[in-house]
Amino acid sequence: MITIEHLKKTFKKNKVEAVKDVSLEVRDGEIFALLGPNGAGKTTSMRMLSTLLKPTAGRITYDGKDIEEDTVAIRRRITFLTNEIRLDGQFTPDELANYYGRLYEMSPEQISKNKKDLFDYFGITEFADRRYETFSTGMKQKTSLAICLLHDPDTIIFDEPTNGLDILTQRLIEQLILRLKGEGKCIILSTHILDLVSRLADRVGVIVDGKSVYCGTVADMAPSLGVETLDEAFVKLYEENHEEQAIVKKK
Amino acid sequence: MRGISLIFRHEIAKIFKDKSLIFGFLVLPILTLALSVGLSAIRPNTVEENEYVLYFYGVNLDRIDIGEMDGKQIYVVASQEAPQTFLYSEKFHDCDVLIDLSDVAHAKIYYHENNSVSAYLKGTADTFVRELYGKLFRDTHPNITFRTMETRDISPKENTNRMIAMLLPYMLILPLTANITNFAGDTIAGDKTRGTFYQVLLTPVRPLALIMGKIFSVSLISLLSSAIYIGLDVVGSKICEKNGWEDVFGFAGVHVQVAEVAIILLYVVLLCYLFSNLGILISLFCKDVNQAQTAQMPVTLLCTMAAMMSMFRFGISPALHYLIPVYNICIVFQDILNDRADIGKMLLTAASFLVLSLVVLSITLASYKSEKVTG
Repeated sequence: MITIEHLKKTFKKNKVEAVKDVSLEVRDGEIFALLGPNGAGKTTSMRMLSTLLKPTAGRITYDGKDIEEDTVAIRRRITFLTNEIRLDGQFTPDELANYYGRLYEMSPEQISKNKKDLFDYFGITEFADRRYETFSTGMKQKTSLAICLLHDPDTIIFDEPTNGLDILTQRLIEQLILRLKGEGKCIILSTHILDLVSRLADRVGVIVDGKSVYCGTVADMAPSLGVETLDEAFVKLYEENHEEQAIVKKK
Repeated sequence: MRGISLIFRHEIAKIFKDKSLIFGFLVLPILTLALSVGLSAIRPNTVEENEYVLYFYGVNLDRIDIGEMDGKQIYVVASQEAPQTFLYSEKFHDCDVLIDLSDVAHAKIYYHENNSVSAYLKGTADTFVRELYGKLFRDTHPNITFRTMETRDISPKENTNRMIAMLLPYMLILPLTANITNFAGDTIAGDKTRGTFYQVLLTPVRPLALIMGKIFSVSLISLLSSAIYIGLDVVGSKICEKNGWEDVFGFAGVHVQVAEVAIILLYVVLLCYLFSNLGILISLFCKDVNQAQTAQMPVTLLCTMAAMMSMFRFGISPALHYLIPVYNICIVFQDILNDRADIGKMLLTAASFLVLSLVVLSITLASYKSEKVTG
């Protein structure tokens, strides 16, 4: 289980308070969607969850282990996939898998086995000895997914995973998310596509202006706010909590 | 260690998989060699000496043309530098004879052992100097005695290695800094641009392993590239020597022992490591390769300036100079090549380098955790 308590992040350079107060709980084996408008602090929260950024205040724990104290151990069991992440174009998927597998301290047998499973699943086996830079966007995304999942992480953090992808690759990613859930893995998904959330997620957390304003099941979200759809629930949460909107309403 | 080795091998493979590198790495140095050899071929081998220059120390006089000997003009010039300095200076190599008149009773005559004109004068015209003195200064110091001095302290090795000792620091530092600017800029700032940096940051590899792996790979590749340039310069010198062309490379007739080459190489490795670490540190804070290369410019300029300053340094430097980074390595190279190596000063240089390297590495590791790097 992942617990996030009063997470805060202020960037030193521009003094921007990207995350003000986020508290969430993600349970084992569930798909947890993190919702929020652009600039709400989703990506910054995801980067802190994936150990890339240090929180200014607050605490993140994975099964009770503090992310700042057990960073290396936590990195062994998580993966983070975002559109910003690319692989070295000069190498083939085969070479990349061997390299990252060894960085994750996997044995050659483990690397071979996981590589074969993932390459087969993503349909890249026949391109495994072609340079990554020669691939199409979709193929690159598949290779990145395969490499990110190579070390068999139990928590997968996806930051807007379907952004900029064609419908076929989007579908493949959705299927992958469901497959990973079926394997008992915990998936944290940041997105602003509500349709994706309603189809895939078990529970949802909503962030507005750097603060968590909702954490509960997808099914309960609309009824608990007295509206009918997820869209309406999201808009209501936004209007009630967005600082400028809240001031206008008060006036 | 395993992490360092993995990162190191991956970085090296990445560089060698880049085809444009082969051009910069091999084709360009060979083209430079061909051009330089061509330049040597069109220049005359030696400039015929058509004058003798005799320096006097301890008297005031302007440059005087005092007539001819064996069809060559003879000039007399006043030296402003004391013989102790003059003998080690560049001027002594252009001088045929130095006459020290600082002691009014005993003049000393210094011949340049390795200067053919000087040697000729010593053999045939010792009396000529005395006569010349009579003409010029007899009225001032009538009872002077002359003594011919040995200039054994100017070793034959120093004379043959003079050119390369002057050029080597510059020849090494210029390609090293240029290569490191290129490779270090690409290794982290380039990874950030390409989006490949974060994937490695997410792995359990330790910051020290990541940084060291990158430093070692940049060092090795820059060292190799510089070795190719220097190696081709040696080849160029041999070609010039064989064909009787002027050696623009400076390696002709150079006299060095294996142990000396090994020591020079050791210092080059130190230099390379420090440059690479500085390059990586700068690269950590830059968003892309261009920004990294621009930010690296002041370091490159400072190092090149240190090498250039050492080119015009003669004689023995005080111990304090061996604490100035980069400049100290340049003067150590010169000391080795000029047969003036001092173990104490060499150790001082190595120690100052190690301390500086540790400081830079600590700053790099601390910076690695900065949100400017991971954010």
